[in-house]
Amino acid sequence: MSEEARRFEDVDFGDEIPESFADVRLATVHVFTEASGMTFSRFNDHQAARKQGMPGAVVPGIMSQGIFAAKIHEWAPGCEVEKLDTVFRAPLIADTEVRVRGVVTDMDDGARTVEMDLTMLNEAGETPVIGTALVRLA
Amino acid sequence: MKLDLHNHSIKSDDGRAKVDNYCKWIAKRGLDLDGFVLSEHRQWDGESDYRALEDEYGLLILKASEVETEYGHVLVFGVNDDLVNAFDFADVRIPLRTVLAEAKRCGAFAVPCHPSRAIVGMFSHFDEFGPAEGVEVVETLNGGGRGTENDDAVHLAAQYGYRGVGGSDAHIVSHIGRCVTEFDDDIASIEQLVTALQGDRYRALSVDLD
Amino acid sequence: MQIDIEAVKKEHVGFAFDETTFDIKAETLANYARGCGETEARFLDPGHPDFRAVPNYASNFHGRRNLPENFPADILRSFDAGKCVENLAPIRPGDTITGRSHIHDIYEKTGRSGPMMFVVHRMEFTNQDDAKVAVVDWRLVMRLGEM
Repeated sequence: MSEEARRFEDVDFGDEIPESFADVRLATVHVFTEASGMTFSRFNDHQAARKQGMPGAVVPGIMSQGIFAAKIHEWAPGCEVEKLDTVFRAPLIADTEVRVRGVVTDMDDGARTVEMDLTMLNEAGETPVIGTALVRLA
Repeated sequence: MKLDLHNHSIKSDDGRAKVDNYCKWIAKRGLDLDGFVLSEHRQWDGESDYRALEDEYGLLILKASEVETEYGHVLVFGVNDDLVNAFDFADVRIPLRTVLAEAKRCGAFAVPCHPSRAIVGMFSHFDEFGPAEGVEVVETLNGGGRGTENDDAVHLAAQYGYRGVGGSDAHIVSHIGRCVTEFDDDIASIEQLVTALQGDRYRALSVDLD
Repeated sequence: MQIDIEAVKKEHVGFAFDETTFDIKAETLANYARGCGETEARFLDPGHPDFRAVPNYASNFHGRRNLPENFPADILRSFDAGKCVENLAPIRPGDTITGRSHIHDIYEKTGRSGPMMFVVHRMEFTNQDDAKVAVVDWRLVMRLGEM
């Protein structure tokens, strides 16, 4: 566990993960799709995705799920993300501005876990990806 | 008083919020909200009793249902045993005229929600089926509205002479309170909410929580 | 094509239909983490004493079959509506993970794309020591008008 681990006692209901941008540049999507084997053109090529009726190359749903986990780790280094439930409501497009938010919405003193609401906002302020997480803190 | 008329808890298949956490959230954030309605998808939750939470947080917590018709989704306020036996709440193809007529017969009140949304919204079916008869109120402000959905709903409601209400359509805790309905009169029960909706002393409000 | 959801449910829910194994490699874990924007060394550095997969790594596993034989819908016409991953133990390089699939639930609802069948595909994962490491629920949406 790292020195800067966020302890359960330091967290309160309603605490927020500072809003930040998700790296959904096409080059980063490439890194993810190569590692995950999701090498389909709709994820990796704007033009090909447009031909398939998308506004641009789509960020894979599980990449957005992984981004949520990464943002939780940034907020609480060393924590354990025990459960991560993500709802893909609309496509998230690569090379667009995507903001990520998280907020503590439940706490379990005994288990030292918090539940979090997670949202991704696109440039229109809509939430194409939402989720919840169960996170065990130090 | 201000009520958020459209929310989902973990009782809904896609709901991720526990009701007590909605209450904690409203208190913690100091939301200008006197209560909220849980409108679970395709079911009537006759079991849950939220009176203890109402007392603890000083909130009114009412229950309704969100059913599915050929004209899209419809909130039904004032569900009772008679209405539960009138049609199958789990059916995704209940005729809207049945929902409206049975709600009226049983002392309930039906409100098409997110009416400008494709497929699940009432207005999107007017070209195919014609304007729905018997509708008085629609949800003009929905917290999940994308693009111009809410603006279109307000515009079309005015065009067809429908009154408007607001609801967040929250599925996670932090989304409650984004759209509400402000009533001129106090409401303390689902029966009083139905009576209020039959009148016109209310308005939909959108709340900027950012 | 009209589908009797209750009949499909009766025939397919709860029955295991696939078992697939996955060999876990350090470089893949690190690259996957990098693509997700991870910043912690325990996910990025194979030399870290606690090096392991990121929490949603099991979401990426697919069986040889994604739906049971004779299932009355085409996976290629489905939408990925979401994934829920529950982590029970770390996945580490060198592990051999076995994923067993079954349909956990099927239900009907109307969404922004019309009447749809929701299929909850569950994969349960164990490692080479037969310890359960993760459970992933994959919510697949299929338009009822397109089957």
